[in-house]
Amino acid sequence: MTRNQIHSIFLSAFALVAALIATRPAAAQDPQQPYPTMAPIEQYLMDRDAEIALARSAAPDAISHDASVVVLTRHGYETAVQGKNGWVCWVGRGWGAMFDHPEFWNPKVRAAECINPPAARSVLPYAYKRTELLLAGHSKQEVIAAIKAAIDKKELPALEPGTVSYMMSKDSYLTDYGGHNGPHMMFFETAKDGAAWGANLTNSPVLAVNYWYISAEAYPQLKSFPPLSVFLVGVAKWSDGTPAPSM
Amino acid sequence: MTRNQIRITLLSGFALVAALIASRPVAAQDAKQPYPNMAPIEKYLMDRDAEIALARSASPGSISRDAEVLVLGRHGFETAVKGKNGFVCIVERSWTSAPDPDFWNPKVRTPICYNAPGAHSVLLRNIKRTDLILAGRTKDQVDEAIFAAVDKKELPAIELGAMCYMMSKQGYGGDTVDHWPSHLMFYFSQTDPAIWGANLPGSPIIAISDAREHVTTSVIAVQRWSDGTEAR
Repeated sequence: MTRNQIHSIFLSAFALVAALIATRPAAAQDPQQPYPTMAPIEQYLMDRDAEIALARSAAPDAISHDASVVVLTRHGYETAVQGKNGWVCWVGRGWGAMFDHPEFWNPKVRAAECINPPAARSVLPYAYKRTELLLAGHSKQEVIAAIKAAIDKKELPALEPGTVSYMMSKDSYLTDYGGHNGPHMMFFETAKDGAAWGANLTNSPVLAVNYWYISAEAYPQLKSFPPLSVFLVGVAKWSDGTPAPSM
Repeated sequence: MTRNQIRITLLSGFALVAALIASRPVAAQDAKQPYPNMAPIEKYLMDRDAEIALARSASPGSISRDAEVLVLGRHGFETAVKGKNGFVCIVERSWTSAPDPDFWNPKVRTPICYNAPGAHSVLLRNIKRTDLILAGRTKDQVDEAIFAAVDKKELPAIELGAMCYMMSKQGYGGDTVDHWPSHLMFYFSQTDPAIWGANLPGSPIIAISDAREHVTTSVIAVQRWSDGTEAR
């Protein structure tokens, strides 16, 4: 697996480097939009038990065993397992990515993730809201406007410090590209870009992407959103302790 | 737990390091106290150009090329190269970066590149520590001085987003741990490491809190050295 493939995976895993996307020879794979519209809802749903197991596989059992688990239904995410440690494990779908991500509607995406309590309180509500609105049939523009309004009214929380996400499942499907998957950690920061961490530079193990968009050209209102960057660091093992391919 | 015990505890979290430690006759070395006192200052100094190069090797060149570089002088660290990107690269010595048995080990060389928030907070503590050491203070005196300076806010609290790169293929961690795995470190004002799931079986995050310095440090191993070669 090449470094660029890993970049692509990370990007698809809810954030991607605009420059890479822009320079990638995507035309051969998807001349226009591989997934221009939402597929039938059934294609995004999973067997409940399988979804719980996949969600938990995002982190080592020592973390996910006592985590809450939420699963996707026809109208949004709902709690399937009440946890004890403040963590929440869930399986993200394609629309968890940036609004202009080419795989936004990819029904194959299954991004297992376990997030810590600060992230569960301050990042997950955005994913829930986005999901509910999209499943209710709202357009991306409408969803963006609704989220912005909720932010302005403080109905959605500000990012808490110390957020972290484990995405170490061997069974995730993050993107059509490359090997489809790679274990990594994610950190959410109110930074405008990745410069403060030296991200996205040659040989840096840190990748950073904007949480909301790749270029914002298609959805300019996203530029007015509070800065939210996602930093990604690849790790050597899957959540079950087995070694992952070198990144 | 001392600062350097914390350091070794963090590093011991890495399987590789643990294996290294386990394979070494540490007890025998401790008994002899191989480095009971500070060596002559010359033994801690380096050729200036070599020190700059070693410092820069802590992070990929894409970062360290534009970083400020500090080198050790007889009275403390001084700027050798002015930077442009907010990062500061430095070769730390035993008194800030090695386990207790190596506290005075003059061979220790640990290259680190701090990002700007790290340089504004974590690095200042290590610079002050070095100043005091080179002024002849004892280890305990230095600890107390740092703790007091933190409590009085003469040294700043850990800045949000503070982190550093320790990805050099070179350097020397000490006789206890001669070379550390390639890794990143993240610093926070004192926080419970459990919040990140650190130190749990299978977690890639190792973290520990230092109540005296009001800092929690977490470590994540990475898979390549700063030059891009594979580190595992």
